[in-house]
Amino acid sequence: MTLDPALLARLGPLQVRARKVMEGVLTGLHKSPHHGQSVEFAEHKEYAPGDEIKHIDWRAFAKLDKYYVKRFEMETNLRALLVLDASGSMAYGRGAMTKLQYASVCAGALAYLLARQGDQVGLCVAGDGGTSEGVREFLPFASSPTHVQELLRMLEGSQGKGPTLLPAALDFTAEKAGRRALVVVLSDLFDATEQSLPALKMLRSRRHDVLLLQTLDREELDFPFDDPTRFLSMEDDRQIEAQPRQIRESYLVEMRRFLESTRKELARSDVEVEQIATDAAPDRVLLKLLARREAA
Amino acid sequence: MFQFAHPAYLWGLFAIALPILVHLFNQRRPRPLSFGAIEFVLRSQRQRARRLRLRQIVLLALRCLLIAAVALALARPSLRPRGVQAAQATGPQATALVLDASLSMRYRIGSRTLFEKARSEALAALDRLGPDEPATVGLCAGSSGFAGAGMAAPSFDRLAARRLLQSAQPTYLSSDMTGCLAAAAKALGDSPVAGKRIIAFSDLAAHSIRLDAPPPLVPPPPNAPAGAQGIRPNVVLVDAARGSELPNAAVVATAVRPSGSLGPRGYEVVATIANSGTQPVSGLQVSLKIGPNIVAKGFVDVPAHGTAKKTLAAVLPAGVVSGRVELARVEAQGLDEDDGEDFVVHVPRDVKALIVDGAPSSLRSRDEAFFVEAALAPARTGGRIHAQTLDADAAANASLEGYDVVLLLNVAAPQKAFVEKLRQAASQRGMGIFLALGDHVDPDAYNAAFGDLLPRPLHLIKTAAEPGAQGSEEHAARFGVIEWAHPLFRVFGPAEREGLESARTFRYALLKPEGQAHTLASYDDGAPALIEKRLGAGRVLLYTSSASRTWTDWPIRVSFLPVLQQAVSWLADAIEQRQPTPALVGEERTLAAPSGTRVERVLGPAGEALQLRRETAHPDDATVALPAPGQYRALVAPPGVQPREEPTLAFVATLDPRESDLRRVDEAELKAQLGGSGSARVAASAAAAEGAHGTPLWSGLLLLGALALLGEGALTRR
Repeated sequence: MTLDPALLARLGPLQVRARKVMEGVLTGLHKSPHHGQSVEFAEHKEYAPGDEIKHIDWRAFAKLDKYYVKRFEMETNLRALLVLDASGSMAYGRGAMTKLQYASVCAGALAYLLARQGDQVGLCVAGDGGTSEGVREFLPFASSPTHVQELLRMLEGSQGKGPTLLPAALDFTAEKAGRRALVVVLSDLFDATEQSLPALKMLRSRRHDVLLLQTLDREELDFPFDDPTRFLSMEDDRQIEAQPRQIRESYLVEMRRFLESTRKELARSDVEVEQIATDAAPDRVLLKLLARREAA
Repeated sequence: MFQFAHPAYLWGLFAIALPILVHLFNQRRPRPLSFGAIEFVLRSQRQRARRLRLRQIVLLALRCLLIAAVALALARPSLRPRGVQAAQATGPQATALVLDASLSMRYRIGSRTLFEKARSEALAALDRLGPDEPATVGLCAGSSGFAGAGMAAPSFDRLAARRLLQSAQPTYLSSDMTGCLAAAAKALGDSPVAGKRIIAFSDLAAHSIRLDAPPPLVPPPPNAPAGAQGIRPNVVLVDAARGSELPNAAVVATAVRPSGSLGPRGYEVVATIANSGTQPVSGLQVSLKIGPNIVAKGFVDVPAHGTAKKTLAAVLPAGVVSGRVELARVEAQGLDEDDGEDFVVHVPRDVKALIVDGAPSSLRSRDEAFFVEAALAPARTGGRIHAQTLDADAAANASLEGYDVVLLLNVAAPQKAFVEKLRQAASQRGMGIFLALGDHVDPDAYNAAFGDLLPRPLHLIKTAAEPGAQGSEEHAARFGVIEWAHPLFRVFGPAEREGLESARTFRYALLKPEGQAHTLASYDDGAPALIEKRLGAGRVLLYTSSASRTWTDWPIRVSFLPVLQQAVSWLADAIEQRQPTPALVGEERTLAAPSGTRVERVLGPAGEALQLRRETAHPDDATVALPAPGQYRALVAPPGVQPREEPTLAFVATLDPRESDLRRVDEAELKAQLGGSGSARVAASAAAAEGAHGTPLWSGLLLLGALALLGEGALTRR
């Protein structure tokens, strides 16, 4: 069973919606790259000087008359930082949810999932009006239930307005994330300065695991307008009158070129990109995403 | 000028407002929409904005055009050209179609000549005549007006009229359009139809129209009361050149004359080149062709509406030489036919003469050959006659091979062997012999020595008066009867004859009556002075007095020089002919047959045999019409003998230079000459001849509408 976004929108507060999404998603496993303190046996390794003596498998010694050391995989504390783009363009959406609402649901569900398995999660809301440039609100890493509640409250209170300040927010994130962390960016990436991609690459170059959930509205993808329209910018004063039917073909070409170039350029820098439309079931999107990460 | 059959449909043009309103409706204020991806809208709009605006304008124009075309087509418009009023009249009109077939109509613009354009327009005009309108057709060419049988009375035999037009060809003749219009008006008088109309198709060259002539008038009907005036017909002149200038450069005259500076057989060809254009022509190449070869070239600048002369020189071969002066044409359009002109020139061959001096003297003026040598000197003959003088003894042993003429001057009766050499050279090679007498001549010895070589035997020497004696000039003999038409004397015009007739002869030989000879000149007492005889292929000419001053004063007179030079040329069969005068195309030329022959055939420039006309008074001569420019040749023969070409009868026919002047007549003056603008119009196109019908335009408009519809559909689908 999948969660229809229209149905999800009617579920009330974000906590409910996020939990619902989380419940729809299978529990993910984040495997630690560090062997040692473990709960699950992984393999045997022939003893070598320097190995912990306490890890010697004496049973194996009894059977084989050789020293073998047990190796384990352990579930470790993942540090995940959710970066939510709260610029004006993210407020677009004439369907069940705006892009910002949809991204918030996904972010909330991810926060639930991470906290539930003991991972630390933080939040950075990118936008104007905050204490730091490009950062409207910031919540440091933690995994307690109250922390998650605070995070969900912040998500629900965020509003899409102002220009896209994602590059500055990502710089801030790079500083605050400290050691290696998972950085999940939720944005449409409609950045007039075109500095967002370099900022994402910069994050990756600091050895963070970067995942971009590029959130787009179905109307932005299909441009289904017919009547003469004066299009107004949601981030500045720009506006233009156009005959949508006459420019549709050209618009779609431009949009496809943008999505394709974003995906390819970030892929070259090993930044994972998931381009999602707001009419897709968020649990399915997350499930697919987590399954792919697990397989990787 | 437009006219409409159903003008009420023109109200439909207001429907053009519909697409304009639709266009304005589409331009209404659009609804606003805050949009996240406005950057992509901006980019798309920037790319297509200009094209979209253009497309909208084109779409609007096509829709307006579609409606306008349909509305106009329903109104059934037609194009009524200028000049149609003159051709309009109430009721049917008898129509004369006059097609200018003169040389200037061969002017080429693009791929078609003016004549071809005029002919197709005349055919279209014929097709558009109403069924109750009789028509007649005439081709205007030649000074006599219409070519062929002239213009018949108007009839309803459209097939014959159409055939006549279809088979019509331009001529090389000039035309008299004024005369043709008058003749056409006269022909219209034979039709009982009240309306009269002349439609003429011409290049309106000024030379073909006489502005001072009376306007064409249709004679009153036979049953009209006495003193009735003629009817002024409607005249439409269709300009085949459509008002455009017709620049043209042409060779309008060619003169050929000997050039002393070039030596023997050197000739100058002086070409006169005319430019009828409004722009001067510079660096125009003129070339002289003899046969197929170009022997001289030059360049000439010709001012606008002016002429220039160009002299080209060449050494020509002996005989009848045909040549041509040609202009190098640069541009494709123009009148090709007058870019060159043919000429024929008779070039005499060189003559080698042997003068046998019977009484040489150390004192030059006393020498028997002094005056003959002076007359035949290269300075006086242009080097054409090479004379060598020997005394009698030297000549007796000399070979006569290579000599064309031998002149025996006061030579004592020669040996038989020498006479035999003379006889053989004359009879077999055609050598000429000139005998002049003197004190060394004994008539009996001469008769014995020369025998039948003499035209007539000598009888005795007569002394009319003693030279130098008192009153001798009074008693001296003078030339009496002279055959002025003979080549020896042909150079003398009436004014110059006195110079010959005034010569005094004191002593001369009388001749015996026997023998066949032809007396060319005789003294006033009837005694022969110059007498000739054919001897086989050659001739013998006997002068019965002396070639020095001993017996006559003729050698010191001016007339002696040309007669002696002509005599030598005549005897050598190298007489310098009078150059044939060129004839004009369209004229007739009578060819006089040489004595004893008959003109059997005359060949035209293309080698075609021409029809001969003979006068009863001169049945051997022939008169031919000259239809085309170029060289004409004649074949003559004595009765019953195969004809041979007679080069001396060759001549050329040239074009009328007036036809090369393509300056146009002033239209206002032309209309005034034709009776004023009330009855005469000059039309720019054949459509002027269509009368009230005009050119229907509705089908074209419908096609335009269909194209607009297709374009509109294609644009809206995109």
